Amino acid sequence: MMRGLALLALAGFILLPLVQAVILSFTATLPTDTLAKGTIGLMNYRNVLATPDLRAAMLNSAIYVSLNVALCIAVALPAAYALARTRFTGDRHFLMLILVFRVTPPVVLSLPIFILFSRFGLVNSPVGIALVHCLFNLPVAIWILESFIRAVPREFDETAYLDGHSGPSFFLRHLIPQIAPGIGVAAFFCFIFSWVEVVFARILTVTGGKPITMAIQAMFSFQTDIGKVMAMTCLSLLPGVAMIWFVRRHLARGFTLRA
Amino acid sequence: MRPHDNRAWFLVTPALLLLALVGGLPLLAVLNYGFHDIFTLTDVHWVGVDWFADILGSERFLASLGRSLLFSTLALAIQVPLGIAVALLLLGYGRHAVWGLMPVALPLVVPWNMIPMLWLGLIQPETGLLGPGLAAIGFDWKFTGWHTWVLILVVDTWHWLGLVVVLAYAGLSAIPPAYRQAAAIDGASRWAVFRHIELPRITGALAIVFLLRFVDSFMIYTEAFAINAGGPQDATRFLTLELGEEIKGFSYGQAAARATLYFLIVLAVVWAFVAATRERET
Repeated sequence: MMRGLALLALAGFILLPLVQAVILSFTATLPTDTLAKGTIGLMNYRNVLATPDLRAAMLNSAIYVSLNVALCIAVALPAAYALARTRFTGDRHFLMLILVFRVTPPVVLSLPIFILFSRFGLVNSPVGIALVHCLFNLPVAIWILESFIRAVPREFDETAYLDGHSGPSFFLRHLIPQIAPGIGVAAFFCFIFSWVEVVFARILTVTGGKPITMAIQAMFSFQTDIGKVMAMTCLSLLPGVAMIWFVRRHLARGFTLRA
Repeated sequence: MRPHDNRAWFLVTPALLLLALVGGLPLLAVLNYGFHDIFTLTDVHWVGVDWFADILGSERFLASLGRSLLFSTLALAIQVPLGIAVALLLLGYGRHAVWGLMPVALPLVVPWNMIPMLWLGLIQPETGLLGPGLAAIGFDWKFTGWHTWVLILVVDTWHWLGLVVVLAYAGLSAIPPAYRQAAAIDGASRWAVFRHIELPRITGALAIVFLLRFVDSFMIYTEAFAINAGGPQDATRFLTLELGEEIKGFSYGQAAARATLYFLIVLAVVWAFVAATRERET
């Protein structure tokens, strides 16, 4: 009884702001010639999808987040394997180093990142954002993958080697299928931290390549169509909700401190 | 025991190079800028430690540091116990717990700049779902300092509780059932089970929660700025808001010196924390 009530209160707390956003997203908040204020319907979503800037922003976000997830997994996998299977000179320093980068506040690095990336022509491009988000996503990916690889018995590797698989073929044909849930969880955490991030995403998109977060910000004006803003916000939640759904069985593996 | 093999460095090198590019180089640049007065990128003068002396000597900095530390302390004191409590609650539901984990993880996928907007909409006096009720009890987050604090803490808790719950739940569900069964046979109280069986086995998960939550709350910017921009009367003026002002004012040298100081504070806390955890392990 008490537990049920506590869970109900928690659900209310978590869902309340989202419920309001969903309600508003289906409500006309700026009266037009044909629509009275307060009409219920899909017009906000139609408006969002009819705006080229907003469509482009969704695409931009999708591109840099996918790039970031792919890059993080590809680079983290060998490193995680090395940490899980061997000891090497400086391994604890390496773990400490990635912890330090994970906790470096983005705002501290925003200025030099901008100057450095503008030299390389990486401003206004999804590649720049995908790269810089590795700063906090790569450590998380390494921690998660390391714990999943550690859970696979060493004999598994040896059998694969005896079968003549080594190097890339071992990673692709044996290890990756074996730790697929781990890759899912790592991709999930990389995805959410990259999708919601605003400090780097703002500073690296000066004139173009605006991500979804900045596009929503730009919708505020003298006369804000709050219904449309909420429709855009709800759309921006969909990929995250889908990710939560896909990894729901493995979400509870989480990650722990390794230093 | 894992074998010692330095060829492992080949596997680690790509990660190291990537981090050097996006973390190492910019960090060195910040350090360097902090000792210069920067008018434009071509008009730079060496000023030594002037910026650092200015910042450390100003009372505004110390006041903001105090506020940021207080905010982090409150955020951790609320979110960590609450998150563990929710995780324990969910644990009682066995495999149905996933239906609780999914909703609490939901705020994690909301873009950061949308979070203050969602909440400000919710408490908007005329149209928000909670607005009229809060207005009736005299909740005034715009002009009453501690009300702004409450609002930012509630918003931050809403945002990050899911991370604490997911990681605490991960630690708790990994404890073999035999431990709890043994405790039940011994007639251990619920608190004793938590204190002596569950808590020691989730310290690894809690350590990362502590560090991530400390850094993110200590360096809170997006929510705090959008909710009241440091007001009323500087009551919620955190460290990052000062840094933001300097960057917006093109005072890059000073901003870099300040960023260096923040980085050093964060580094000191992380280092002390890791040293403490290692000591307990050995």
